[in-house]
Amino acid sequence: MKRLWLGTGVAVVPILFAVALVAGRQAPEGGATTDVADDAGQSQPIQFPHDTHAGQFLIDCQYCHFSAERSVDAGIPPVATCVGCHQAIPGRNDPAEVAKVLEYHNSGTPIPWKRIYKVADHVKFPHMRHVAAGVTCQTCHGEVQEMGVLEEMAPQAGDLRMGWCVSCHLERDASRDCTVCHY
Amino acid sequence: MSGNGVGRRDFLKVVGAGSAGAAVAGCSTDKVERLIPYVTPPEEITPGVATWYASTCGECAAGCGTRVRTREGRAVMIEGNPDHPISRGGVCSRGVSALQALYNPDRVAAPLRAGPGGLEEITWDEALDLLVDRMRAGGRSLFLTGKKGPTEAGFLDGFVDAVGGQRVIHDALDDSALRRATDIAFGVNTLPRYDIAAADFLVSFGADFLETWLSPVALGADFSAMHGVDHGTKAKFVFVGPRLSLTGQNADEWIPARPGSETQIALAVAGELVRRGADAGPYSELVAGYGLEDAAEAAGVEAEALAALADGFAAGSGLALGPGSAGHHETATAANLAVLILNAAAGSLGRTMHVDDAPGTEASSYGLVASAIRDMAAGDYGVAVVSGTNPAYSLPPASGFRDAFARVPFKVAFATTLDETSALADLVLPDAHALESWGDAIPSPGTYSVRQPAMRPVPLYDSRPMSDVLLEAGRRLGHDYGAATFRDYLRGAHDAWLAQNGEAAGLVGDPGALWRELLRTGSVSYTDATPAITALQAPTTAVDFRLPGFGGDGDLTLLVYPSPRFGDGTHANRPWLLELPDPVSKVMWHSWVEMNPATAGRLGLRSGDVVSVASENGAVEVPVWTYPGIREDAVAVAMGGGHTDYGQFANGNGVNPMALLSDATDAVSGTLALVSTRVTVTATGAWRRLTSTEGSSDQDDRNVTPAVALSALGHTAEADDAHGAEDAHGQIRELQEGGGFRPVTTEGLAEDFPLPGSDFGEYDHDGPRWAMAIDLDKCTGCGACVTACQAENNIPWVGEVQATMGREMHWMRLERYYETVDASHSGPLDIRFLPMLCQHCNNAPCEPVCPVFAAYHTPDGLNAQAYNRCVGTRYCANNCPYKVRVFNWYRYTRENIPEPMNWQFNPDVTVRDNGVMEKCTFCVQRIREAGNRAAVEGRDVRDGEVRPACQSVCPSDVIVFGNIRDPESRVASAAGDERVYRVLDEFINTQPAVHYLKPVTHHDVDEGGH
Repeated sequence: MKRLWLGTGVAVVPILFAVALVAGRQAPEGGATTDVADDAGQSQPIQFPHDTHAGQFLIDCQYCHFSAERSVDAGIPPVATCVGCHQAIPGRNDPAEVAKVLEYHNSGTPIPWKRIYKVADHVKFPHMRHVAAGVTCQTCHGEVQEMGVLEEMAPQAGDLRMGWCVSCHLERDASRDCTVCHY
Repeated sequence: MSGNGVGRRDFLKVVGAGSAGAAVAGCSTDKVERLIPYVTPPEEITPGVATWYASTCGECAAGCGTRVRTREGRAVMIEGNPDHPISRGGVCSRGVSALQALYNPDRVAAPLRAGPGGLEEITWDEALDLLVDRMRAGGRSLFLTGKKGPTEAGFLDGFVDAVGGQRVIHDALDDSALRRATDIAFGVNTLPRYDIAAADFLVSFGADFLETWLSPVALGADFSAMHGVDHGTKAKFVFVGPRLSLTGQNADEWIPARPGSETQIALAVAGELVRRGADAGPYSELVAGYGLEDAAEAAGVEAEALAALADGFAAGSGLALGPGSAGHHETATAANLAVLILNAAAGSLGRTMHVDDAPGTEASSYGLVASAIRDMAAGDYGVAVVSGTNPAYSLPPASGFRDAFARVPFKVAFATTLDETSALADLVLPDAHALESWGDAIPSPGTYSVRQPAMRPVPLYDSRPMSDVLLEAGRRLGHDYGAATFRDYLRGAHDAWLAQNGEAAGLVGDPGALWRELLRTGSVSYTDATPAITALQAPTTAVDFRLPGFGGDGDLTLLVYPSPRFGDGTHANRPWLLELPDPVSKVMWHSWVEMNPATAGRLGLRSGDVVSVASENGAVEVPVWTYPGIREDAVAVAMGGGHTDYGQFANGNGVNPMALLSDATDAVSGTLALVSTRVTVTATGAWRRLTSTEGSSDQDDRNVTPAVALSALGHTAEADDAHGAEDAHGQIRELQEGGGFRPVTTEGLAEDFPLPGSDFGEYDHDGPRWAMAIDLDKCTGCGACVTACQAENNIPWVGEVQATMGREMHWMRLERYYETVDASHSGPLDIRFLPMLCQHCNNAPCEPVCPVFAAYHTPDGLNAQAYNRCVGTRYCANNCPYKVRVFNWYRYTRENIPEPMNWQFNPDVTVRDNGVMEKCTFCVQRIREAGNRAAVEGRDVRDGEVRPACQSVCPSDVIVFGNIRDPESRVASAAGDERVYRVLDEFINTQPAVHYLKPVTHHDVDEGGH
């Protein structure tokens, strides 16, 4: 075991460390659902237009993000969900992208989506509680139905930092107890 | 906080700016995280929601029911299955730790063939070809296996017959002496069934039924039902034997009989009963010849104590158990037979002990193993297949196993992890773990328990279940089993059994529907019409009831016993168990030799002195642990240590006492004699600090586990005046029941706090207030809760060096205090257990000393620890009077836990890094999960819906958790019991949320509870 000592020296030292460590602390992931790749700057593997799906065709968010109302995770649609429609719909705007989806499906390869929204690992964000409380998806994720390919967080929505969470909890008189999100 | 100087927030702002670089690096903003969806979603998985599988534990032959919690396809927790008729919601530490065998980094990754450079990886095809070729051409096959479930056993026996060979079952925890004795006494080679719950007087002749004997979880549940006080009555438990095991520590009285003397005692007590008019059938005349005085003389105890045993049996519904490992000597069958005769004389047969007229299956026998060893040495076998047993470790070297095994031309081992035996094999086939494979168990006639895999095989290891491999091998050898996989075979056997017996068993219906229901519940109860045997039969075998002899010329008898943590050593490569304090000695990681303080004094030894324990067969060096619960003329060493070829955790820890034993056996049954030799103990001059959590075995008048005498129940001050303390502590009570404190509102930044319309800073609200009740009268000190807590909460192990410094990270520990323990004569025994965890004090000393408000109280009554606030001052731990806060001195979670053991991490619990304080959270993740579920369904959390990990494994139903504000809740009712107390509360007014119920003693205790 490496011997990295803490708590010696002036009081500032451990606090500096603690900030860095807390930020870098990894929560375990339950399966092969996430992966860290050193490929910043790359765009989404599929140029998925949220505005076409959720805006133009009014597909409910939870049709694809299927577990938002019953799980802490909103759910990333299985490739089979995409193919469910797109085996019949070639995609008028960009058939090449739809063909890529079918290729992923036919080769049994999951689509490696670039993750845009993520709270820190030591934060628990139960989607179902927020859905049940009537918080719309747009409250946190912005007007997704008006956005094209999601490459970054919607600027008009929040920054997913604690102050932003707490301000909403205050407004709605929801609990501000630490262990609501941190445990 | 005043406006002058630098406020806390300003300070943190400055610090935050200074550390921006480090923080950004930690945030990994230069990396992109990928979201990997399923291509096709598995039906039973919802991301973020646990999927539970009812299954059957595969860690020993007891067949307890488990519920395996999986997240996104990975097993993360094992709990007891409350619907299982045998284990009734309990599971032991070994059962929980199966997760560490599943994710063990030492697992065999691919088939291995012995080559010039050691074991080399080959493909499964090559391995199967090799296996089939050698089985076809290699001569007779010996299958040396552990105990298997009934269907797998049937399949294996068929396979062995087809290929030409013999199957021998080896289990170091051998029960063949008890089977043989039952055969002699009742004419059927089986194991009796014991109904402890129906007894009101229980005597164990050294049987460790709460640890390793037969079915510890089921017997433990029965024991707590029997021994826990109920409406003012409480059954009595007497332990007879030279050493107090954990089971012994739970006794009300101890008769410290000499090793090997249990036969004389059992026969003499039976004789006394016969003299008083009882009937021992064909043995009446025999036992009448055994007098109490002679037996007392042989056992080195008082005749009055033995007479009291006879009184106990005569007075009510008695039951004698045993003998256990201490009775595994050269007349083991005689000892077992004597106890069976005593049961018959006491009228237990048909009341508290049942003998079914059906031969049990899967009987292990060292006698057969010994003969197989002789045959191997003689070159009779061309192929040896080993599975689920490790004789190269668990047999004494004197047995000659290693040499004989080496003479078999082709040795195959099915192994999840290489061990001392599979390391000697020519072909090693990676076996799937029990959590990855199908199986079943009949833990008791009338209960069928199925084992279904909780997850796909861990993908790092190319393992296959042995039964599937043999099905394939059988196919290649030209045998047809009508099933492609063992799952199909099992299902076929299930349907065939139903077709044949379903009606008689009361299981009628569509086999498919019954099968699905079986998988849902994990087990099914059916009518078993096997007739019971009601009387002793005349002996057909001559049994010698004399005292056993012990070899060697030392002056101390060596007691070798199965470890409550490792069994025979099978479970030793699991860090949770290595760091679980032994329930008796509280020692972790290494071995020790138990010695009475008087003996140690005579030899000039103290705890920690490293001694050489030598018999005529060998010697081991091991530190002394002085223990008042062992006779002065005996020393004891547990099995399970001293592995040489098992895995990175087990190797080199402790010693293997089998090195001291000869191959002496019990002549009648062939059982290996574990108590067969005398030893000499000599100091080596070295001393080591024991790696132990035993701070003190004496309460030092702190009265942390006060007891109440049975006779005083109903007359205690609390019972006389249920609210007697109200006047003195009226305000305290109001706080405990009314929602805690209302801290004064701090000034803070006036423009921010409190915000308009907010009630920030006020804890009073209408929600639940979580609390726990722990019934010390039922607690047996087994430690299952400790392991479950560790599994649930991502608690790391720290290793022997750190643990020796007292840095173990357990959130729970079991304190054990001696009140009355005296090995020099028979008498009352009083040893108390105290599961200690964060008390979630309503007036918590840790909270006000935290400079960053990381330790604080939640509105629902939890003493919370906000890890992301904690800066590691450790003031809280220093101010905690219960010593329940633990500190991450190093990066234990990262550096101690190798891939893939971290796959077991509970995704609902933050993994802590170094510099952070942590402690019991009352499993807040389960509280929040239940709260989320209830809120979505628009209801309150139900009583019993939140079960902390400790409660969810406890075999004895000791722990109750719930909302103490709800007067209907179980915890509120427990907290109103007259036995309730809160540890140290009367001295320091901490107002804990954990309510203990005092243990009840048969003897009188003084006012302070001593």
